[in-house]
Amino acid sequence: MKNKHVLPGFGLALGITLVYLSLLVLLPLSGLAFKASSLSAGELWNVATSERALASYRVTFGASLLAAGINAVFGLIVAWVLVRYPFPGKRLVDSLVDLPFALPTAVAGITLATLYAGNGWLGRFLEPLGLKVAFTPLGIVVALTFIGLPFVVRTLQPVIEDIEPEIEEAAASLGASRLQTFLRVLLPGVFPALLTGFTLAFSRAIGEYGSVIFIAGNMPLISEITPLLIISKLEQYDVIGATALALVMLVISFVMLLAVNALQWWSANRHHGREKVSL
Amino acid sequence: MSGQTTRLATAEPRWLRAVLMVVGLGFLFFFLALPLVAVFVEAFQGGMSAYVEALRHPETLSAIGLTVFIAVFVLPFNIAVGVAAAWAIAKFDFRGKSLLITLIDLPFAVSPVVVGLVFLLIFGAQGLFGPWLAAHDVKIVFALPGMIIVTLFITFPFVARELIPLMQAQGKDEEEAAISLGASAWQMFFRVTLPNIKWGLLYGVILANARAMGEFGAVSVVSGHIRGETNTLPLHVEILYNEYNAVGAFASASVLALLALVTLVAKTVVEWQMRRETVMLDTPLAPENVGQPSGTQP
Amino acid sequence: MSIEICGVGKRFGNFVALDNINLSIPTGELVALLGPSGCGKTTLLRIIAGMETPDGGHVKFAGEEATHLHARERNVGFVFQHYALFRHMSVFENVAFGLRVKPRGERPAENEIRRRVIDLLKLVQLDWLADRYPSQLSGGQRQRIALARALAVEPKVLLLDEPFGALDTKVRKELRRWLRRLHDEVHISSVFVTHDQEEALEVADRVVVMNHGRIEQIGTPDEVYSNPASPFVYQFLGNVNVFHSRVHGQWADVGGGENEEKASDTPDATPSGQAEKKGEALAFVRPHDIDIERSPVAGSIEATVQDVHAIGPIVRVELAHASELIEVEITRERAAGLNLVRGLAVWLKPRQVKVFNVAASQLEEGGSGI
Repeated sequence: MKNKHVLPGFGLALGITLVYLSLLVLLPLSGLAFKASSLSAGELWNVATSERALASYRVTFGASLLAAGINAVFGLIVAWVLVRYPFPGKRLVDSLVDLPFALPTAVAGITLATLYAGNGWLGRFLEPLGLKVAFTPLGIVVALTFIGLPFVVRTLQPVIEDIEPEIEEAAASLGASRLQTFLRVLLPGVFPALLTGFTLAFSRAIGEYGSVIFIAGNMPLISEITPLLIISKLEQYDVIGATALALVMLVISFVMLLAVNALQWWSANRHHGREKVSL
Repeated sequence: MSGQTTRLATAEPRWLRAVLMVVGLGFLFFFLALPLVAVFVEAFQGGMSAYVEALRHPETLSAIGLTVFIAVFVLPFNIAVGVAAAWAIAKFDFRGKSLLITLIDLPFAVSPVVVGLVFLLIFGAQGLFGPWLAAHDVKIVFALPGMIIVTLFITFPFVARELIPLMQAQGKDEEEAAISLGASAWQMFFRVTLPNIKWGLLYGVILANARAMGEFGAVSVVSGHIRGETNTLPLHVEILYNEYNAVGAFASASVLALLALVTLVAKTVVEWQMRRETVMLDTPLAPENVGQPSGTQP
Repeated sequence: MSIEICGVGKRFGNFVALDNINLSIPTGELVALLGPSGCGKTTLLRIIAGMETPDGGHVKFAGEEATHLHARERNVGFVFQHYALFRHMSVFENVAFGLRVKPRGERPAENEIRRRVIDLLKLVQLDWLADRYPSQLSGGQRQRIALARALAVEPKVLLLDEPFGALDTKVRKELRRWLRRLHDEVHISSVFVTHDQEEALEVADRVVVMNHGRIEQIGTPDEVYSNPASPFVYQFLGNVNVFHSRVHGQWADVGGGENEEKASDTPDATPSGQAEKKGEALAFVRPHDIDIERSPVAGSIEATVQDVHAIGPIVRVELAHASELIEVEITRERAAGLNLVRGLAVWLKPRQVKVFNVAASQLEEGGSGI
């Protein structure tokens, strides 16, 4: 129908978006699936489940899970401290939280590798304790913790800010201790956001490449992440192998994207429900 | 913060606060502050002259130039498409809107290495268009066009993601008012919409720029690492580092770290501006004072 | 400029926002669209403004087809519920906007724009705020700036969406008198949407009462209040007592057969439908249309006083008659003379009763009847 919207530009704006998205994102990604479909299923399966590939999944997922877990714990503490406690230089610290978003991953990679190397500022204290970080799977966890931190903190901060003091006062007036208030009243409220932040950090960590390769040591079967394995397949002109692994990564990306969406929908709905009750 | 009397009710005991602050700030110190400082310390390890020398190397300068060129080339696309996407999504209702929002996020979810590989499979020698491109002597992969395309892919979501919630919150009233007062589509956009979203837009551009200049994995796959030609600054850092040229690597890295610091400052300033504008909208109203229409006065 | 609306309908998915609306607004009138939220009044206003397109029907301005005219070309002044002032422009620039975006040929010169904006700001009594920004104004001031901005393009029609909805009671009262005087001064056809019956009755020349996407009644404030066309209008405009009654022929029993009211004015009782006139009916009586007597009089019913509340100038008495609760409002003086106390038996005599048959009286949720 003519004149359906008063505001102009809907067709143009949506058209530009869809064409751009299709040409730049959707068609290329389906190109990967298309390429993979030209290979036999058996071939793909063999590559995707080879010993080296399976080891790389274990390293990637294990380190990502551990890093996201560390971030969930420390990210919650950092977010809590930043929202609730006044201290000098708070704004500076708050801005610094975004550093991993702003600092190129290659810079983070070489810096962390240098810091945790045997003669580095941190490595020289850790290695005598038997903690070898650089060029081991532990180094991967350190790099992934670095890049994942802002996801958890930035997801939690607004939620903690929105907690009404009345809720805590009510819990206290009903006789709850501070720990009980935290565990039974506050934590359930921030839990969806914590889970969302965890998932975001985890999904970013799985695909991460730049910050990891410098500190990982990249030993096949031990400290080789999947993205690096894709690169080494490419460097050996093994396009089939690279494609098979990339397909696995892409499917995981989609699953993570859906998971994040579902989580955000869940926490938004919970929030909405709360608002309705308070009306 | 709550006062002295309510401290026990709504705050942790003093010792616990101290522990949490030490743990939280200590974590930030070791994971964020220390690496940032280390970049600059390492860069100046060989003294000022070695630092300047490393930066003045033609390959470093050409890497800086290429990095800036790619970002400058990519940002207008990000702005135009980001604004278009946000306009359609925030101001109109249509079927499949939430799917579109999810798809816009897709580039964030895909591993940069996979992004690079995807374009290699399309434009590479053995790729879908490889033979055709070779026959027409068009180089995309292992050349500038490929690096621009992957950067466009990687940075696509930033602007739209910032603008969609902002424009949804602002609603359609002001635009409708402009139209009902006779404004044309472009008058409405430039006089009403754009001034309202300028900070959000700038915020998205700052983030997209940081990513465009810092991208490593995706660009690494399609660049071919040709020194002085397809080497961006992050790739240059890698090459120097692998050649055990620590001072050179960290000198280049310090430029990128400086970029990160500028990004953080710009981001903070823009956040502050945005917050100020929202606070202004919520300021308590001036006392009411209803006068008489002029005609009814003696 | 007159506005005519013929057979306009609008759905949003399964929700019928407007159902076959016919309305004509003569030049220079100030018309209120009154109804509960969700009744379609704002949708109708936005269709007149060209902000929504009707699914069917026509909108005519001064007799000319305007249904598919773009909002930009309708020459309509629209005042938004939340004002929609341009937040980054000063008050002056907000008012000047409509003049500045005119095509080059029609655009007034800068000093002409300045003169007209200042005149308008003087008209709304806010010329001293020209350099302020919308965020620095009070709600009432924003409302008046929004009005000045809408008037700047010299619209043929002024449309206001809940113009006083977001203001507190005192400012609201002042502003609506002010709007009435302003309308008398600029004298252009104006339509405003409201859910506040008092506002509609006080300000408008004519009131259009709407419910569930239909027009229930169109009339002067006095007509819709004293002679409501439907049970909905009766209940929406003020408090009312509802009595179940039986209709036989021309008469309805009200309150148990002692009081008989002529039912011939029942709008829904068609002359031919004799059967309809026999059976259940509802009688509506406003609380202030009932007299309280200490002794029985002709046509009165007996009731017991349950509660007495003095509310400002009036006294509200709650009484029980059989199982029904009846609310009566009398003056302070009258109440003092009656010396009412809880449990006292008195006689009620309605002065004005309106009877609707049950089919027409499907009570609306949120109605204020008993």
